[in-house]
Amino acid sequence: MREYVQLILDWSEVWSIFIPLLIYRKQPALYRPVVFYLWAALFINLSIDLIWKFRTYIPSAYNSNNYLYNVHSVVRFCLFSYFFLSLKQPFLVQVKKAVPLLFFIFFVINFGWYEQFFNYSLFSSRLLAVEAFFLLFYVLQYYLYKINENVEVDIFTPDFWITTGVGIYMVINFFIFLLYNELTVRLQNFAVSLWNVHNVSFIIFNLFIAKAFHESGKQ
Amino acid sequence: MNQANNDIRLLLVVGIAAMFLLFATILLIFIFTQRKKLQYQQSLHSLKESQQLQLIEASVRSEETERHRIAEQLHNEVGALLSSAKLHLHTIHFREDDNYNLSLYHKGSELIDESIRKVRGISHSLHSHILQSFGLNEAIKHFVEKLVGGSLITATTALDYTYKTTSLPQSDISIYRIIQELLNNILKHAHATEIHITSKYENENLTFNIVHNGTGLTQELFEEVRYNSDGMGLRNIQNRINLLKAGLNFSESNGLYFIHIILPKPLDERPVTI
Repeated sequence: MREYVQLILDWSEVWSIFIPLLIYRKQPALYRPVVFYLWAALFINLSIDLIWKFRTYIPSAYNSNNYLYNVHSVVRFCLFSYFFLSLKQPFLVQVKKAVPLLFFIFFVINFGWYEQFFNYSLFSSRLLAVEAFFLLFYVLQYYLYKINENVEVDIFTPDFWITTGVGIYMVINFFIFLLYNELTVRLQNFAVSLWNVHNVSFIIFNLFIAKAFHESGKQ
Repeated sequence: MNQANNDIRLLLVVGIAAMFLLFATILLIFIFTQRKKLQYQQSLHSLKESQQLQLIEASVRSEETERHRIAEQLHNEVGALLSSAKLHLHTIHFREDDNYNLSLYHKGSELIDESIRKVRGISHSLHSHILQSFGLNEAIKHFVEKLVGGSLITATTALDYTYKTTSLPQSDISIYRIIQELLNNILKHAHATEIHITSKYENENLTFNIVHNGTGLTQELFEEVRYNSDGMGLRNIQNRINLLKAGLNFSESNGLYFIHIILPKPLDERPVTI
């Protein structure tokens, strides 16, 4: 039983993406970055899981999937930044516009001098933690702006569900991302089981996006 | 080494828990404040709506009062004056061979009779005594008969007599005015030659269906005309419909036009009536 649950959790990074994709109806332009992210995430996560599953059959130079986590992080940051900027909320506009630039500077400095993007044995904890930090900034500014805005019809709009999904995912995973490299060195088994927490949060994240698509489809 | 591992584990667990609690708190505060604001907006909206209804109610009430006043003045003053004129006219005597003056006398008498009838008709249409005395169904039936009397138009009614005028007949006045205005419009603008009016009173719902063969309105056209036209008729109809919290629907099928009015609640239990 435990093995089945583990198998379901191991593959959750792939199957959970199908929840919003199955609910998907034609979305307004505002939510296209999220739709594009889902397809990109599906492709990246499928590659991650297939490489991990068939690692013994793949030449050793190519059987690491860690760099794909870095790719996933960059893609997620870019698309969700685009999504939050597309909301056109007149609040901290300059700061929000500066965030992608700050991320780019961090990216260049980090992978130019301190880390390798295509590291065989580790993904970049620093990259994922910085991404989580910046996305959490977007999430919090969204709530702060909405609190000051007049509510006319409904507070549970599709962008609320997307933002909350991103918020929950990043809140749970910020410390996991930040300490994961350290954990894989010191407490490998704990690190592996901790990834289940990440997978559960990824399922929740997809459920929230599915809810957003469902609400958007109703409108 | 063990201590360091425990520290990192503790840091992780406490970090996740703290972040999660913080986020949950922010989310709850957000939802709570937004709900409060939404409730406030909704109460503001309903307040505006009730104020608007009160304004419509006042305007409809004053219109009815004015109609009543004009009807009474027409009946009591103009009607009395005309009757008196007729009496005076009848006191004039002519020689039997004075054909010229005799024909003028008859013509004058006819005109006074016609004027008395017209004044009575206008007076009754402004303020229906039949509505007050015999109820909505009789008033509608009487109005329809009077409307098409002497013309080539055929109008039939099949009204549900299980509906009795309520203890608050102001609602009935509004329904009567709506039907009156709709029928006037059908004759004036749709040029119908056949009109059929039915009503049904079922489960405390009163519905009216008006079918005619003229060039009527569909719902889209009604909305368009209502917003673009300067005429008072359709606006008055809509005001009264809003006041009664009723439904009004226009449709077309096989060359026939249908007007459907539904009053979904007991009329005497309505908070706002006129």
